[in-house]
Amino acid sequence: MIGIEDCLSEAMAIPGALGAILVDHTSGTALAMEGLPDPERSAVGLSETFRATLDGLALSSPDGTVRIDDLIITTDHGYQLIKPMETMWDGPLLICVRLDRDRANLALARRRLDSISHELIAS
Amino acid sequence: MLSDLAESRATGALKAGRSGTVYLSKGRICYVECARTPSVEELLTASGRLTLTGVRTARQTAAATADGGDMLVRRGVLSRGELQLCVLGATLDASFFLFGATVPKPKFREGDRHWLGIHWFFDVPGLFRECHRRRARLDRAWPSAELDSRPVVPVRRIRSHHVVLTALQWEILLNADAETTPAELAKRIGRPAYTTLLAVREMAAAGLLECPGPPPPPEKPPDLPKRVAGSAPRAMPGDGGGRRAQSSYPEISGDPTDVNLLIRLRNALEAFQ
Repeated sequence: MIGIEDCLSEAMAIPGALGAILVDHTSGTALAMEGLPDPERSAVGLSETFRATLDGLALSSPDGTVRIDDLIITTDHGYQLIKPMETMWDGPLLICVRLDRDRANLALARRRLDSISHELIAS
Repeated sequence: MLSDLAESRATGALKAGRSGTVYLSKGRICYVECARTPSVEELLTASGRLTLTGVRTARQTAAATADGGDMLVRRGVLSRGELQLCVLGATLDASFFLFGATVPKPKFREGDRHWLGIHWFFDVPGLFRECHRRRARLDRAWPSAELDSRPVVPVRRIRSHHVVLTALQWEILLNADAETTPAELAKRIGRPAYTTLLAVREMAAAGLLECPGPPPPPEKPPDLPKRVAGSAPRAMPGDGGGRRAQSSYPEISGDPTDVNLLIRLRNALEAFQ
C-alpha cells in the first residue's frame, strides 16, 4: 500500500522514465508531478488526449461503450503511457509517464505502471 | 486573512459561520470544508465505504487524537492512497465554492484540528491559482452561470442523432428530476460538486439540457480589415476553409491569421506605391 508521493517516485523509478504526473481527469487538475517543466499544461493536455481517445473509440467501436486499460503513444522522442485508475467517488485519475525511447522497455513499463496503480488504489 | 495566517505559520481552524471551515497546519492548508460540497465523510458514505453510524463512531473515537484517517486505513476502510486522494479532492472542491462565495466574517480558532488528521498540504497561493484555473475551465465549457443554481432539466428530444456521454454525465441525467440543482445532485450521487457542475455546463453546451435563456453568443470571429476598391475577395475565417473564393485565386488556407496577415501586408505594399 503506497501514498501519492511513493506512487510518483515508483513511476519515476521505471527504467527510462523522464517525467511522471498524476492528473484528475474530470477537472484537469495536476495532483502531483515529477520531472515536468509545466505540470498544469501537461495535465490539461494529457486529460484532453484521454478524453478525445475515449470519445473517438466510443464512436468507432461496435458496442458504443469503451473502457480503456491503458494508452500507449509512440512519438519520435519516446513513449507516453497513460493509465486510468478508478476511484470510488470521482472519475478516473490518470497516471502518465513519459519514457525515453532508447532506454525504456515498454512491456516492463506497462506492467510496473499496472502494479503501481493497484498499490495506490488497493482496497 | 488567510494569507496573514499562512504568513504567521498558524495552526488551527478558520470558520466562516455555517458556510465552511479552512484547517491550517503551520501556515499550510491541510483541509477545507464547504457546506455546498460533499465532505470526505459524505464521499465515504455515498460510495458505500462507511455507514453514517460508522462515520459517527470513527469521529468520536478520533476526536481527541485527530488521527481518524490513520485509523480508517488501519481498519482497511480505504488505502493510504485513496485517503490522500479523497482529502485532496474534497479540499479542492470545497475551496472552489468557499473562496468564491460571500461568507460571514470568519473566526480563527487556534489549535483546532480535523478529526481525520493531516494527509495532504496545499500552499495558499497554489490553492488560489487552482481555483482560478477551475473557474476559467468552467467558463470555457459554457460561459454562463445561469444553470449553476437551477434544477437540472434534460431536454425531451435532442437535436442531434448521436450523443457521447461520460459516466458522470450519465449519472447526472439519470438522477435529474427537474427539481434538483447541480450541487444537490453532487451530494446525492457522491461526486465532487465542481466536476458535476462542469459536466452540467458541458451538457448545456451540447444542447442536452433545458436552458432558461438563449445560449450565450459564440465568440465573434475577428474582424478583417476593411476592403478598399480593387482589392481581392475576402475570405471569412471558418466558412469551410479551402473553398475557392474565385477561380483565379489560390485556395484559402484554414488559418484566419494567415489571411489577415496577407491582407495587411498587401495593403501596406499598395500604400507604398
